[in-house]
Amino acid sequence: MTNPATTLSSPGAAATTPQAASTSKKPQSRRRSVSRGWIGWLFIAPFGIVFVVFLVSPLAYAFYLSLFSKGLATGTIFSGVGNYVKAFTDPEFLSGVWFVLRFAVVLIPVQMAVSLAAALVLDSLTTRLANFSRLMIFVPYAIPAVIGSIMWGFLYSPSFGPLNNLFSLINQQAPEILNSDNIFGGLMNVVVWQWAGYYMIIIYAALRGIDPSIYEAARIDGANPRQIALRVKVPMITSALVLILVFALIGTLQFFTEPQVLKPIANGAITASFTPNIYAYNLAFQFSQFNYASTISFSLGIVVFIAVYIFLFSTRKRRGGFSS
Amino acid sequence: MTAATITRARPRTGRPKRNITAHIFLVALVLYFLMPLWWLFVASTKDAQGLFSGAGGALWFDKNFNLVQNIQELFTYKGGLYLRWLGNSALYAVVGGVGATVLAVLAGYGFAKFRFKGRDFSFAILLGSVMVPLTALVIPTFMLMSQMHLTNTIWAVILPSLLSPFGVYLMRVYAADAVPDELLDAARVDGSGEFRTFFRVAVPLMRPAIVTVLLLSVVGTWNNYFLPLAVLSDQNLYPITVGLGGWQALAASNNGGGASLYTLIVVGSLISIIPLIIAFLSLQKYWQGGLSLGALK
Amino acid sequence: MNKKTLVAAVSTGALLLGLTACSADGSTSGAGSTAAADATSCSNTIVYPDAPKVSVWAWYPNINTVVDLFNKAHKDVQVCWSNAGQGGDEYAKFSTAIAAGTGAPDVIMLEDEVLPGFELQKALVDLTKYGSDDVKANFSSGAWKDVSSGSSVYAIPVDGGPMAMIYRKDIFTKYGITIPTTWAEYEAAAVKLKAAGGPFMGDFGSNVPAWFTALMTQNGQTAWKYDNSSPQSIGIALNDAGSKEVATYWQGLISQGLVDTKDQFNTDYVGGMASGKYATYISAAWAPGYLSGNGGAATGPGAEWAVAPLPQWDTSKPVSVNWGGSTLAVTTQAKDPALATTVAKELYASDAELKDGVDTQTIFPLSKSVLDAEWFASTPVAFFNGQKANGEVYIPAENAYKGYTYSPFTTYYYSELTKAMVTIIKQTSTGEKALDDLQSTMSTYAKAQGFTVQ
Repeated sequence: MTNPATTLSSPGAAATTPQAASTSKKPQSRRRSVSRGWIGWLFIAPFGIVFVVFLVSPLAYAFYLSLFSKGLATGTIFSGVGNYVKAFTDPEFLSGVWFVLRFAVVLIPVQMAVSLAAALVLDSLTTRLANFSRLMIFVPYAIPAVIGSIMWGFLYSPSFGPLNNLFSLINQQAPEILNSDNIFGGLMNVVVWQWAGYYMIIIYAALRGIDPSIYEAARIDGANPRQIALRVKVPMITSALVLILVFALIGTLQFFTEPQVLKPIANGAITASFTPNIYAYNLAFQFSQFNYASTISFSLGIVVFIAVYIFLFSTRKRRGGFSS
Repeated sequence: MTAATITRARPRTGRPKRNITAHIFLVALVLYFLMPLWWLFVASTKDAQGLFSGAGGALWFDKNFNLVQNIQELFTYKGGLYLRWLGNSALYAVVGGVGATVLAVLAGYGFAKFRFKGRDFSFAILLGSVMVPLTALVIPTFMLMSQMHLTNTIWAVILPSLLSPFGVYLMRVYAADAVPDELLDAARVDGSGEFRTFFRVAVPLMRPAIVTVLLLSVVGTWNNYFLPLAVLSDQNLYPITVGLGGWQALAASNNGGGASLYTLIVVGSLISIIPLIIAFLSLQKYWQGGLSLGALK
Repeated sequence: MNKKTLVAAVSTGALLLGLTACSADGSTSGAGSTAAADATSCSNTIVYPDAPKVSVWAWYPNINTVVDLFNKAHKDVQVCWSNAGQGGDEYAKFSTAIAAGTGAPDVIMLEDEVLPGFELQKALVDLTKYGSDDVKANFSSGAWKDVSSGSSVYAIPVDGGPMAMIYRKDIFTKYGITIPTTWAEYEAAAVKLKAAGGPFMGDFGSNVPAWFTALMTQNGQTAWKYDNSSPQSIGIALNDAGSKEVATYWQGLISQGLVDTKDQFNTDYVGGMASGKYATYISAAWAPGYLSGNGGAATGPGAEWAVAPLPQWDTSKPVSVNWGGSTLAVTTQAKDPALATTVAKELYASDAELKDGVDTQTIFPLSKSVLDAEWFASTPVAFFNGQKANGEVYIPAENAYKGYTYSPFTTYYYSELTKAMVTIIKQTSTGEKALDDLQSTMSTYAKAQGFTVQ
């Protein structure tokens, strides 16, 4: 019924130049802030309560737990940062961190390449096929990771999956994807399949936001479509790309569901410390070491924080160089 | 960039038709993304033996078309347990999703439109919370729940689902641009109270973002696995993800127990993904623009 | 229109907020008003609502039937059952409940191998105080040893997994293989199969450490010395000569390409069984139920299954080993441990309940009332084309089983053993070295956990 374009343009019409408006109104808004500050809190309060109850307090408790240590056969003792020292020298934890870092470094560019390429192509087409494709590429996002992993687990089967059909045509044995040599690619495929469409939609929406007159200008300057795509479009959606990258990075470093679901069919390739999150899960729920499990979770949080910080720092620098 | 320019429709004049390579690329992508779903549909039509050694191969139908029988078996297995899971998932997703959206809209508006002491600090904390691994929270959350006697109740799933820091972030970003201060001031000058202003002026302007956050929260809750797995022990309360995951474990354990669980898992997966796919396809005009919101700042 | 929906949405939200606020208030105030929100709610119907209830977590596929039978027969106590997940999932929930100090059921289904770990966490009740000895005579000494630690008893055995060799009669006939009674004959048969272009003799999967443990135990491994009289002390012996012989033997089969190295219990493996990829399946008494349970997936076209005793290292001193098996234990969070013990003793104990487990092929009962029963021994098993498998193979195997002492960190041991098995499969380590490394890993781990390693 309603055209999204029109609904969306109405707020914009009012806020013609929000930047200028907000700067010129600064003194006024500051005055307002003083008198109505408590109302702001009132709006935030319901969320704030949930945030404190279900995030801050469990987190504080988990941190408290991480300061103690308990062996299976010993009592609980306060160990301060002892667990953290242990974690950052624990080869199991470090190998898990190393895996997710490698995974992120390989996965994220591939994922970005697929979603960016798809979005750029879709942006340049207006056919019915393009509209249909956009939706179909997005569909895997609506499928729970658990079910996606179960499906790919079936599909990877060398004895009754499609690979078997394919390879039996040339009388070859289908390759084993779920073993320690190929698990990296196997997991990567599942994640790309699940998330590329979501990222594509975000990039696509950002591309649609670019004023097309810029393309005309570029075209008059003699740029071909490919040059327009890479030199004009991509730089203009950097902020969207950075956001996606940050979320992909955080998600990848906390990798859990897919390897956990595929573990029973992975022929020993997915160990109890495969990723830091899986390690923490196993420590807590399989090996009964809650204190150390909390430590591992926090240590992972630290690693994520550092990784995101480094990433944002480096991209900010590059982006700065770009615009100048 | 503003929200307005992002999604504004623009005329696309005279695009060339020489897009064969582009279309081939798209078709290849679509085939890749749909192949598992096609497999799921085909596999749902097979009986247990056909699933493992069907005549037509993995991506084509077997001799007998068993879809109806499989669905019947699925819906009657253990007294219709599957339908119950489906209902639970819907309940958790709708209640959790709507609740999370309401909280996010209120908080996002509060962050965007009021200046108060501790605002920036709180917001920084909120953004940082995204980096916390879920495993760190499960045990303490469980302990909290059991002290409140909420474990193994629907609230154990719904209450934590109300937490959507990303939703707050989206709402803040959107509200900051889409709800002009002038309009709010005008409403206040007219004597409208803060909450009346919020409902009458701000909420209608924030509608596209609200729909997006609602969809994201519903999907998040619907897809949730870890939390319900940890806090529920009564299988009558399981959502579909935990239920199917449990069947997968049951099928793989040494207690197969007479039923062909693999066919149930496959057909159960198929049925379970239909509601969300329909929701996304039918609501596409609402979310497609909204998803780019986060990229603004 | 749109405004209306919005208002509706917002008011629903407001209503919801009110609701959640209410429930949060109600619970923090600690008023016992929410009696329904107890630790567990039942998945079964209660026949006698006035009788005291005992909550049970279990995942036996036929547990609904058994619980109904139990509740109809017991006016004095009612079982309130729920399925908290399978194996690892259930243990994860139990561990969380132990850490939280609340949330565990009264009675819980546990596999033998995890009992000492939960004992060490003081999560299980010593049943000798509540009359577990009354039912001791109902079980073989091996089965009883599996649930005992020192003089204490921590669970009541329900089902077991005496091991045997399932084989494909059709494949054996086709390639002229005679039933191997020793591991040397098993290897010779494997060589013959391969030479004739036949299928794999069997499978060595890295995800079945319990299976490999049983096979090493068969050749004299006594991995653990542990009991609760001195719970801080443990003996570890994983790399004795017998164990190394077993590891080297299987590595030899793998390197010659005589056995496959697929993970077991998944669709691919079951599919392989159906399509005749394997001539034998070294497995336990529950395996026929497992294989036929997957909708007959493994019965495959033309597949003829039969079962023979497990091959031996020394036929003059045959050893019977066990793979898998489950029990009912009473948790320390049980409100009425005596009543809970009654349930643990009497669930899966009546003839009707046990017979249902046998008929549905869901358990191999350890109760002597079944093992010694004529009907059980003489039942022709459909999966084996009418072979009286219980009487011929499984009952003698169970009766000869001597029991096993588990460590209090079985899950960790299994995860390390899996790693060792992967190195054996990938030939990155020899069987001997893999076990030497395992020995030192486990000793280091035990010391780090505060145990004195003997």
